[in-house]
Amino acid sequence: MLELAGVTKRFGGVAALSNVSFTVAEGEILGLIGPNGAGKTTLLNCISGVYRLDGGSITFDGRRLDGLPPHQVARLGIGRTFQVVKPFASMTVRENAAVGALFGSGQAHLAPKAAFSWADEVLELVGLARKARLTVGSLTIPDRKRLEVARALATKPRLLLLDEVMAGLNPVEVDEALDMVRKVHAGGITIVLIEHVMRVVVGVCDRVIVLHMGQHLAEGTPDEVLQDRRVIEAYLGEKYAARRHG
Amino acid sequence: MSLFVQQVILGLMLGGVYVAVAIGFSLVWGVLNIVNLAHGALVVVGMYATWFLFTHAGIDPFLTLPLDAVVLFAIGYLVQRGLINRVIRAPLFFTLLLTFGINLVLINLFLLWFKADFRSVTTSYSGAGLNVGAVTIPYIRLAALVIAMLLAGAVGFFMNRTRTGFAIQAVGADKDAAQLVGIDLRHVYALTFAVGAACAGVAGGLLSTVQAISPTAGEPYTLQAFVVVILGGLGRVSATVVGGLLFGLIEVLAQSQVPGLGAGWSNAIAFAVLVLVLVLRPQGLLGRLA
Repeated sequence: MLELAGVTKRFGGVAALSNVSFTVAEGEILGLIGPNGAGKTTLLNCISGVYRLDGGSITFDGRRLDGLPPHQVARLGIGRTFQVVKPFASMTVRENAAVGALFGSGQAHLAPKAAFSWADEVLELVGLARKARLTVGSLTIPDRKRLEVARALATKPRLLLLDEVMAGLNPVEVDEALDMVRKVHAGGITIVLIEHVMRVVVGVCDRVIVLHMGQHLAEGTPDEVLQDRRVIEAYLGEKYAARRHG
Repeated sequence: MSLFVQQVILGLMLGGVYVAVAIGFSLVWGVLNIVNLAHGALVVVGMYATWFLFTHAGIDPFLTLPLDAVVLFAIGYLVQRGLINRVIRAPLFFTLLLTFGINLVLINLFLLWFKADFRSVTTSYSGAGLNVGAVTIPYIRLAALVIAMLLAGAVGFFMNRTRTGFAIQAVGADKDAAQLVGIDLRHVYALTFAVGAACAGVAGGLLSTVQAISPTAGEPYTLQAFVVVILGGLGRVSATVVGGLLFGLIEVLAQSQVPGLGAGWSNAIAFAVLVLVLVLRPQGLLGRLA
């Protein structure tokens, strides 16, 4: 469905991503992990058109994405949430979701009325239906993260990019968020998620890709990857890895 | 007493004009974060458009308003798309300089095309008014007030009920998130500025019926729009309506009721209001603190 080939992004002399290649298959949940600064968010920014690539290509259903502006990528059916939530603060929860529905993929001519009823369905799915009329300012952090997901879902994406939707949540909230991700996935949406919470990675991901210093380090099932010596080295240092693996 | 009532009515009517002038200014400021120093010049484009249609085609000035809006919408779209979009991500100072430059260019174009002569739009009903007891309500100013309120209502409806309105609000709230739900930023920027300019055009058309038209006639209105937005609060049509009406009242009452203050004091009054609001309630009467 999504194919990255040799994706490279530099900021000045620093290569934030070098020669990263992988594919995302329709219907899977792919985890993207790696230590801080590994280039995970940069990678999502490259896919969603926020950054221009310095090399390589990204194709979605056979269509080149690199070079397209963000709104066109969104309209092709790629939804996206932000690590640091970015709600439309002057609007209500329902209006936030409705904006997603008004302008998302293939929805270019959805009338406001239809957009609002679709927004209501999406809010129901993420568990925000009861708070639909509130302004964003009165939402808790977990609810704001739900709203990020709701707004992205409202665009009717086929591929959803989730950037650390679980960060900062307590264990109960993480469970709720996991349920939400499973429900979204059950609705037929392919998901790529960046996550530091390993319980989430093991809990929902079919496959995991590890980035380290802008490079593709390892790939496999969550169990394989978390046993991988290179991955442990990247996270915990060579000495620890040596002790563990003897 | 009737003199006081008369002044209040005149104040509200002047306020209506300020509302019309400030709506577009507020929209552009709130969404694009541009303090548009060329706003007054855009108002003057509307004045000349109405004057031209009235003088050369004999169209009633109030019927020219939709045409003013269309012409200014087109000009606004092109100016934003072709010029301002290029520096929109730069610090506020750049857009301030650019709109200052656009203002100068427009004023000099007016001078070139229309000379520095004062022109006016005088209709058969220009001097007439409604007499209620000792109070006179000039028809033209009453119509201007009503049209200003209709304009405010239309912009409010547009912003809160239409696709494009939601796009503009979303862009105003968070540009990055807006593009990632599929909103074309550059197009929405241009539409926002175009709507702001169209409002300026309507305001100019209204003003042409009550004052003399000259290349620099718009200068005071940029300042007054600025004060109205500060007074009411940024970002909401209702705030602009309250700010505009109140500012009109303040100006007329201060000039008529306070001894020693005459017509020459209007800028001083505007700045005094500006300073007071910034000291006492910086977010404006109906504004929210960011």
